[in-house]
Order: sequence, then C-alpha cells, then structure tokens
Amino acid sequence: MSTTRKRVYGYLAEFKSASALYKAAEKIRDAGFRKWDCYSPYPIHGLDGAMGMKRSILPWFVFFGGITGTATAFTLAYSTQVVIYPTVVQAKPVNIFTIPAFFPVMFELTILFSGFTVLFGLLALMKLPRFNHPLFASKQFHRATDDGFFIAIEARDPKFSPNATRDLLSEIGGSNIELVEEEES
Amino acid sequence: MAHHHHVTSADIAIHGDHLDNSKVAKLKTIALAIAVIGTLASVYMLFFASNQTKGSFAYSWLFAFYFFLTLSIGGCFWTLLHNVSNSGWGTSVRRTFENLGSTYPWMFLFGIPLLCPQVQQYLYEWMNIHRDATGDVKEHLHHADHLLYNKYWYMNYPFWLGRFIFFGVGLSLVIIGLRKLSTAQDTDPNPGVERLFRARFHSTYTLIIFALTITFTGFDFLMGLDYKWFSTMWGVYLFAGSALNSMAVIILVNAWLKSKGHLKHVAGPEHFHIMGKLLFAFTTFWAYIAFSQFFLIWYAGITEETSYFLIRNTGNWNTAMIALVFGHFVIPFVILLQAWLKRNPKTLSIMAIYTLCMHVLDHYLITIPERGVSLGGTHMSKGEAFAGLGPITPTIDGAFWGDILAFVTIGAAFIFFLVRALGQHSLYPNRDPRILESANLSN
Repeated sequence: MSTTRKRVYGYLAEFKSASALYKAAEKIRDAGFRKWDCYSPYPIHGLDGAMGMKRSILPWFVFFGGITGTATAFTLAYSTQVVIYPTVVQAKPVNIFTIPAFFPVMFELTILFSGFTVLFGLLALMKLPRFNHPLFASKQFHRATDDGFFIAIEARDPKFSPNATRDLLSEIGGSNIELVEEEES
Repeated sequence: MAHHHHVTSADIAIHGDHLDNSKVAKLKTIALAIAVIGTLASVYMLFFASNQTKGSFAYSWLFAFYFFLTLSIGGCFWTLLHNVSNSGWGTSVRRTFENLGSTYPWMFLFGIPLLCPQVQQYLYEWMNIHRDATGDVKEHLHHADHLLYNKYWYMNYPFWLGRFIFFGVGLSLVIIGLRKLSTAQDTDPNPGVERLFRARFHSTYTLIIFALTITFTGFDFLMGLDYKWFSTMWGVYLFAGSALNSMAVIILVNAWLKSKGHLKHVAGPEHFHIMGKLLFAFTTFWAYIAFSQFFLIWYAGITEETSYFLIRNTGNWNTAMIALVFGHFVIPFVILLQAWLKRNPKTLSIMAIYTLCMHVLDHYLITIPERGVSLGGTHMSKGEAFAGLGPITPTIDGAFWGDILAFVTIGAAFIFFLVRALGQHSLYPNRDPRILESANLSN
C-alpha cells in the first residue's frame, strides 16, 4: 500500500482579459512577490515590465557562444589551410591575409553556435524539458492555451500566506481562485 | 518595459507640436551663409581655377554631393517603408523621416555641376571618348573602344541626361506628395483614415522609383568614374549605407527635438530602442554587402573587376580600407549589441554621430581614390587645349582642402534645408489615426 501525500504548490487565479492580467501583474510585482508567474494564450507586450522581470542572462551566453563559433571556425580553417597543409587556391596568399576566404565559415559557425546557445541556454534556464508541472493538477489550467489568463503565486514565496495571498488575488480582480496541490509519491 | 503613464488623446497636442522658429533662426542663418559663400567659392573652384584645381575639386564636389544625397534618399526610403509596411510603431517619429526626405529635391540641385562638360571631362572619361567621336558616335566606338560600343545602349549621353532628369524629378515628386498627404492631416478637423490608406497605396509603386534612384545614381555618378569597372552589388552597397546613415540622422534629429522638450508623451525610450535596432541591423547589412562585393571580386581575380580594390588597397588607402572594416563594422557591431545603450537618446546619439563619421570615410574611399589615378591619365576631350594633369599618383597633394570646402558647403546647405523643413509643420502627425498606438509602443 502506498500512501499519497499532497504538497501545496500555490494559488491559481483567473483574470478576465489580457489587460486585467497586465494590471494584476503590476500589483503583485508591487506587493513584492518573487515566485509567481503569468499564463496567457498569447504573448502580451510589456508584460515582462509589468511583472518586474529582470533582463535574462541568456544574451551573454549567446554572445560568448557566438565568439566561440568565430574562434572555432578561424582555428579550423587557419590551422588546416595555412599551418598544416598550406593550400594555394586562385593564387591567394597562404598566410593571415587569406582570412577573407575563411569569413564565410567564420560567419556560419558564429550563427550556428549562437543558435545552439539560444536553444540550449533557453531550455536550461527554463528547466526544460520536464515531464510534468504542478499546475497541471488544476482542472481549469488547460484553458491557458485557449482563452484563459492566469496568475499563479507559489507557496514557497516568502510573502505567501494562505489567507492574505488569497485575499490579494481576489482584490485585484482574480476569479476561480484555487489552491493547487501537487501529488508527491 | 511598462509605461507608467498610458498616453491618451488628452496628451496629444491638438494643434500640433511646433518648432519655435525664432530659436533656430540663428542656426539657419549661419548654415545658409556658409552654404552660399561656400557655393560661390565652389563655383570658382569648378569653373575658373587652374586645370589642376578644377579637376581635383570636381571629385571633392562629387564626394560631398553624393554623401549628402544618400542621407536625403534614405529619408525617402524610411518614409516609404513605414507607409508600405503598414507600420504603427513609428508614427510618432515619421514626420522626421518625411522632413529628412524632403531635403532630397534641394540636395539634388547640388548635382547641377555634373551637367556641365567642364566638370564632366575630369570625372567621366567615357563622355570624353564619346565627344571625340567623328560622325556617328556608335560607329566610331565600334572601332575605337569596343567596351564602350557594347555599353552604348546604357552609356550614351542622351540617355544619361534623361536619367539625370528622372532622378531629380521622380523621387522629388514622390516625397513632396507623401509629405503633403501627411501634413495636410495635421489641421483637418475630420482626419479619418483615408490619407493613411492613400499613403500606403502610393508608397508601393513609388518604392520602385526609390530603388531605381539609389541604384542608378550610384551607377551613373560613381561607378561611371571608371567605365571599365562594374559591380552588380554596387546599388545595394550604396543603399545599405544610405539606409543606415539616414537612420543615424533621424536618431540625432529626434534626440535633439526631445532635448528641446518636443515629442512629449509620443516618443520615448521604446522608439529610440527600435531606431537603435535598425541602426544595428543596417550596420550588419552594410558589412554583409560590402564584404560580399569584395569577396567575389577578390576570389575571382578578374582584371576588369579588381581595379576598384587594387586602387583602394594601395599605399595609405589600404590602411583606410582596413580601418573601415573595423570602424564601420566590428566596433559598432559589438557596441550596439547592448539594449540599454539603444534606449538612451544620449548614448544612441553618440553612436549615430560615430556611424556618420564612418559614412564619411566610406564615401571618401568610394570617390576620392579615383582622383589621382584618373586625373593623371585622363584622356581629355579634343576641344580642350590641355595636356593632362601630370603623372598617375595615388593622391594629389593639397586636394584635401577642396574636399573639406565641398563637404562643409553642401553640409551647411543640408542642415539649413533640414531645419527649415522641421520648422514648417508639426513635429509629429498629431491627427494620424495611429498616433496613440505609436505613443504607447512597447517592444
């Protein structure tokens, strides 16, 4: 026999529209919450600002990823074409001034490595892929991909309190407020 | 980033946001005075000075003329693009596009010296060869210069003249018409959306006039300096510099207007961010095109094509060309990657000024290296009692001062006509149906 314990994930509240979600997000930001998120069927311009989100560190990953690509391509082309096996093509010099011939490869690897860093950096920062999310326990949450606008405040946020947070969500226009519990096995 | 204040129609200046003309009167007077005095001096240099000076200065004039023409053409381009792409983001700053574009008819007038045979003879050797013809020009070329014979359908004087008139009249009508359509709305009590749709429709086919103008002015005025040389990337190369640097001017004008308290509520960091992104995009696009042009010519190594880079990769010109690679691309590319810099009008303005300096270098390297090699060996028209300008050299001593004179003269005129245009109408289209959409921009 296995026993099932449940752990509180947090509150989920629905909002009428994108604009109501935006305004509610500003209030939750101003109330000082940290562990919370908005869910909407489509991107909402300026929501990152309304949520008070800091800029992502991802651009830096991509910048150094791109530089790595440039350097890799240059090293590859230069060492093979100039150092190991000097190859005279179209009477071009076999030294550093052959570099224009390497530019297409340097360009392509810069793009490729940048693209890879975007993809894998993004997945890592978002902790994806994952098999499940606690919010999937909610019966109404699937509407976030259809016509529902939601905010979820997690219980692990230091400001979270079972009554005050619920009141706050209802005060700023949240409806169908639900305490989401995740199953722990 | 969120706007703390949602802009509503109550924030829009109902009678428009006008430049106080009394505050810019001094600037306009000084600019106009420099332009007039400079033009008089330039007329002397072009027509009455010694042969050596006349020849050198013809190149100075062409360099300065085309440099400022690219900025004006770019203003037309951004106006057309904003209309045709049905954009809402830039309505707040669109009037600056139109004002910059409206300098085009005036700046084109500085091309009038290019119509004079006294100037043409130093710049366009193919015209000298045509003028030397006895009897039928085409028949003469058939025997004298087969390359010019083959190119006769395009490189013949009547067609060249016709194109010159088309360049001057075509794009001028386009920008005057679009600007009128836009400014008429400022005072219309029932503005509606009709003008918006008309501007969008008329910007479609007139975009072709723009493309023909930037491409073939480049072919006729600059590529024609050496009739043996050709590059199919020439038009798009000039376009890349034109779009980039007209955006730099647009950024500077808007930052200046903001600092004077204009464009209040309607333009802010979001708009500068987008304009900064366009500056960044076209910095990259310029490099992509410039390298592609060089790369294909360098790799193929065909005699007719390499002359352009042989001249510019000789002696000190080579140092300048390498400086262009880093200064026009690598440095601004890395700096403009940062988002905060693009959102701040001050830091973005510094980059816009820097970009314009690099554009000067770019166009100096397009036009001026041709001077020493061409004037030394120019085949002069037979009508002139003139025996050439001496040996073929990479540069001509002292000719640099003429470059500065021409640049300051046409530059002062450019500033005069731009500031004049800014003072003529509201600084943003205050009754455009999309002004609130643009004012509340978020990206």
